[in-house]
Amino acid sequence: MQALSGVSFDVPPGSVFGILGPNGSGKTTLLGIVTDVLKADSGTFQLFGKPAGASERRSIGTLLETPNFYHYLSGWKNLEISASIKQRGADDIERVLKVCGLYARKDAAFKTYSLGMKQRLALASVLLGDPDVLILDEPTNGLDPSGIAEVRSIIHDLAGSGKTIILASHLLDEVEKVCTHVAILQRGQLLLSGAVSEVIQRNDFVELAAADNQALVALILRFPGCNSAVVSGSSVIATFDSPPDTAAINGWCANNGIWLSQLQLRKKSLEKAFLELTHTSNS
Amino acid sequence: MKNIIRTEWLKVRTYRTFWVMLILAAIIPVISNFFMANLFSNGDLKKATQLMGQPFSFPAVWLSVASISSYTSGLFAILLIILTTNEYTFRTNRQNIIDGWDRRDFVYAKLFWLVALSLIALAITTLTGIIIGLSYGDTSLSFEDYRYVIYYFLQVVVALSIALLIAVLLKRAGIAIVIFFAYSMMLDNILSAILKRYVGQVGGLLPLQAGDQLLPVPLFGKLISEEMYDAYVYVIAILVYISIAVYIVFRKMMKSDL
Repeated sequence: MQALSGVSFDVPPGSVFGILGPNGSGKTTLLGIVTDVLKADSGTFQLFGKPAGASERRSIGTLLETPNFYHYLSGWKNLEISASIKQRGADDIERVLKVCGLYARKDAAFKTYSLGMKQRLALASVLLGDPDVLILDEPTNGLDPSGIAEVRSIIHDLAGSGKTIILASHLLDEVEKVCTHVAILQRGQLLLSGAVSEVIQRNDFVELAAADNQALVALILRFPGCNSAVVSGSSVIATFDSPPDTAAINGWCANNGIWLSQLQLRKKSLEKAFLELTHTSNS
Repeated sequence: MKNIIRTEWLKVRTYRTFWVMLILAAIIPVISNFFMANLFSNGDLKKATQLMGQPFSFPAVWLSVASISSYTSGLFAILLIILTTNEYTFRTNRQNIIDGWDRRDFVYAKLFWLVALSLIALAITTLTGIIIGLSYGDTSLSFEDYRYVIYYFLQVVVALSIALLIAVLLKRAGIAIVIFFAYSMMLDNILSAILKRYVGQVGGLLPLQAGDQLLPVPLFGKLISEEMYDAYVYVIAILVYISIAVYIVFRKMMKSDL
């Protein structure tokens, strides 16, 4: 079973790099290869611009898939082990446990933690020693809504402080909310990679309605820059070459004798943009 | 290496199973030795003991304690299997690498336990030999024939190497312990007996049997005369088995997906 083929891209320093793809598209395999837990049959990669070894891994905070800790040890003692292996961060344990909201349970055994707490401990381990590069594979897995919001704000803060973050996710709005760059994987192939705004083109569109929608379609098609207009249900969907100006559209229609009962600027949902992207590649 | 030992120490420092197993593995050979020494130093058996050449006096006491202790080395093997398979159960073998160990470091960490546990076994048996020799024997302290304790040490190392190999290949504590005991208590003996009967003394060269050949049971061993190679042949065989097991463990760890 070939999990990845011909996937190649660079992660610019200081970027928040999203790796996006449906389940089973090879995200974790890709990150597993970079962290040396999986052996690639061919291909190369570099960390910090040099061939990767154990010492490069020590300066990256990595959360890969599930949290892996010694069940019989407390959260604190598990982090002592991580710090020992990373050879850094032993005096940082209190801080990261507080950031991840686990300080109150620091002395409880890992096996008594809930799924969300285990995930928080894994994040705490990632933050240990304040690494400049972080690899996060589905970091909000298993967290409740407030936990998801907390993790996002942690990622925001980290990104703001100039860290490089590689974030794998199948949750599109997670990527949209935090990433500057993105690579899209599908069935082990790299579909696209680059800055988010370039990769995921999302033209705004306008949803509007009037008493006579057919007349409205005919009229709006004559509006400068309008490239399509179709009736959809009880309203008309119109798209434009450049970001549409709703006030101008309103005025245009009124001047031409059609009074709008509805006028709304809408963004194409990321889900839709993503599905379009992956479907185009299917056909 | 210091970092590896420190990290391994953090893993077991408050691990109850580790301490319970370690204490059992340390105490049971001591108790067994004192029990045997006591048994053969009182009543009717005392006369028999004298016929056998004072097995609890120096220098013969070294062979006696080494031979008795060798029956309990499986306890150290269980401990090593638990420490190794834990890493697979918790997937911390993967996490240790992600956090920045070389795959090689992971093997070194387990080899550290192999050596440490073997040295603990050596120390315990040496101390037991000294105390039993002094309290049950009629002669003064002597390290003549201490080589039997070294043979015992080698047998512990080969047993632990096999245990480590089984743990790394099977990854699950329960099945690894069962397979280890099936091998050490039966398979090795049976194969050896078959080989000895149909092929010859080469049957004594199987991994655990080689150690047994070097440590004849003192209380009966002298009654049975058996064709044997020189001691160094068995020592070399044991060293070869240790090397092969460690090599396979390394190979497996360096190549496989975690």
